[in-house]
Amino acid sequence: MKSVDASTDTLLFEVNGTPTRSTGDLQTPLLWFLRDDLGLTGTKFGCGIAMCGACTVHLDGIAVRACQLPLAGLAGKSVTTIEGVARTRAGQAVQQAWVQLNVAQCGYCQSGQIMTATALLRENQAPTDADIDAAMNGNVCRCATYRRIKAAIHVAARALSEAGTSE
Amino acid sequence: MTVHIGRLCRIVARVLVVGATLAIALGTALALWPPGDEPAPPVSGAPARIHDPISRGAYLARAADCIACHSAPGGKPLAGGLPFTLPFGTLYSTNITPDKETGIGSWSDDDFVRAVREGVSPQHTLYPAMPYPSYTALARDDVLAIKAYLFSQQPVRAARTPNALAFPFNQRWVLPLWKLAFFRNRRMVIEEAAGVERNRGAYLANALGHCGECHTPRTVGYGLQDARALSGETAQGWRAGNITPDPWTGIGRWSDAQLTAYLSAGHAPGRSSASGPMAEVIEHSLQYLDADDIHALVVYLRSVTPVQTDPRLMVELKPQGATRSYDLLPARDTDLRTNSGARLFSSDCAGCHAWNGNGRQISYASLTGSSSVNDIYGRNVVQVILHGTRIRVGEAGAVMPGFANRYSDAEVVALTRFVLAHFGDKEGVVSEADVRGQRSDK
Repeated sequence: MKSVDASTDTLLFEVNGTPTRSTGDLQTPLLWFLRDDLGLTGTKFGCGIAMCGACTVHLDGIAVRACQLPLAGLAGKSVTTIEGVARTRAGQAVQQAWVQLNVAQCGYCQSGQIMTATALLRENQAPTDADIDAAMNGNVCRCATYRRIKAAIHVAARALSEAGTSE
Repeated sequence: MTVHIGRLCRIVARVLVVGATLAIALGTALALWPPGDEPAPPVSGAPARIHDPISRGAYLARAADCIACHSAPGGKPLAGGLPFTLPFGTLYSTNITPDKETGIGSWSDDDFVRAVREGVSPQHTLYPAMPYPSYTALARDDVLAIKAYLFSQQPVRAARTPNALAFPFNQRWVLPLWKLAFFRNRRMVIEEAAGVERNRGAYLANALGHCGECHTPRTVGYGLQDARALSGETAQGWRAGNITPDPWTGIGRWSDAQLTAYLSAGHAPGRSSASGPMAEVIEHSLQYLDADDIHALVVYLRSVTPVQTDPRLMVELKPQGATRSYDLLPARDTDLRTNSGARLFSSDCAGCHAWNGNGRQISYASLTGSSSVNDIYGRNVVQVILHGTRIRVGEAGAVMPGFANRYSDAEVVALTRFVLAHFGDKEGVVSEADVRGQRSDK
């Protein structure tokens, strides 16, 4: 994909598989663009300094904090948000496990939790408790649903491995 | 026996007197030595593309980074008041706006040139916190261009903050003696054989940019050790690195592209990011230099005498921990239950820095290859953990928050040791006492 259309000074990238363009200030954090311009409000604003994880999205499959990612860093890349994560097998498995175990309490941090959990399962299909702690420690939950988050990640990992062997 | 001791004392006294006389005579002779020819363009001066005299002065003032020290947070630019915390008290920078009473509005050209190049204002001798030992190399035309720029700015009425120095450092009459020992009134010596570019780079680095004021080690008497020029020094808690071309402990193995990126934007891919005072230098000064001038700086830095410093600080580009980690997952042998530094990293740092140190969404946050995470004393790592750091280049910027109010000394030590081990393969020697000391080094 062409990343910058010099003739119109437009930045081109993908959000959930849809080609997207921005002609605004390239220093705007992705989070603002997602919520205000695209109306994708599933990604939440928490701390604004990349320390709580509520705004986690995927950039070319890697979990990043949208509040600290300027649009300038997106040229030609592909963004996945909570609205689009179920299109991947891992994302679908994680969301199903979340529903199955009723993980969410107030729910504010959960889209970020799901995005990080999905990225984790891409790095490691069978994470241990220690792996989950290391990967998820930067995603804060004020309701302290951590134990259910951990359980759900194990459920999703099992579902993925069973689906993998039955295929 | 007493006779012998008496005679010995007399001999010693005589030797001391003769020695002191010779030292003062030598110092005076050196001080009176002619200052040399004025450097001339294109070695000195603003780039030829800038014609307007005020704009030329503005470019030179930026290259000399006047604004960083002569402005206080929350204060008006150039109105002074920035504190310099030194071991023996606090100095405050002065108002260099053209206000006639509280600034420099009543200074003549000669007054200004003398203050900048010789450290003598119409009132008194200046403390060498004002880098006149570097600025002395400047061309008079350039100093006057800077003056013209300063005088084109809005005068600000802001009385100076009195210095708070302990005796005997508060005695200004000592300063001329200090100058006799450590200061030479000398213009930059042009080395014709080295070519214009290298000379221009030397002028930018040594005269305008005064790099050596932070990067050259100082003697006990606060003089600069010229023999080890640019090989690194610590000031106000921050470590200014070895920027000589030594391949192991300096910048010898940085590519031209890395040096250029670092100098113009504060981040070298695969190497360091500027933090603390160096981030300010990039923000206020270096980002505004023309590409040709940045290149001249690179050429010059590559040409200085390489100085090898502590080999234990050698940068490891492929550290075991980070290299075996992913974005979200640390290397297998990283145990969060037993390693409290790793645990802190997982909760507060990994969101930006990532376990593999790639900086995730912020290039400035990359850690692998940075000289700071390879410094076994962890000086800059402790500084940024405690006080944070920020940089603004063009429209872009990055901010790291400080954790001084959240972390105990022991936690800072644990986190620093983990960062040094994981991203630099280094065994840190930082202690809680070091951290306590650095808490006041902002």
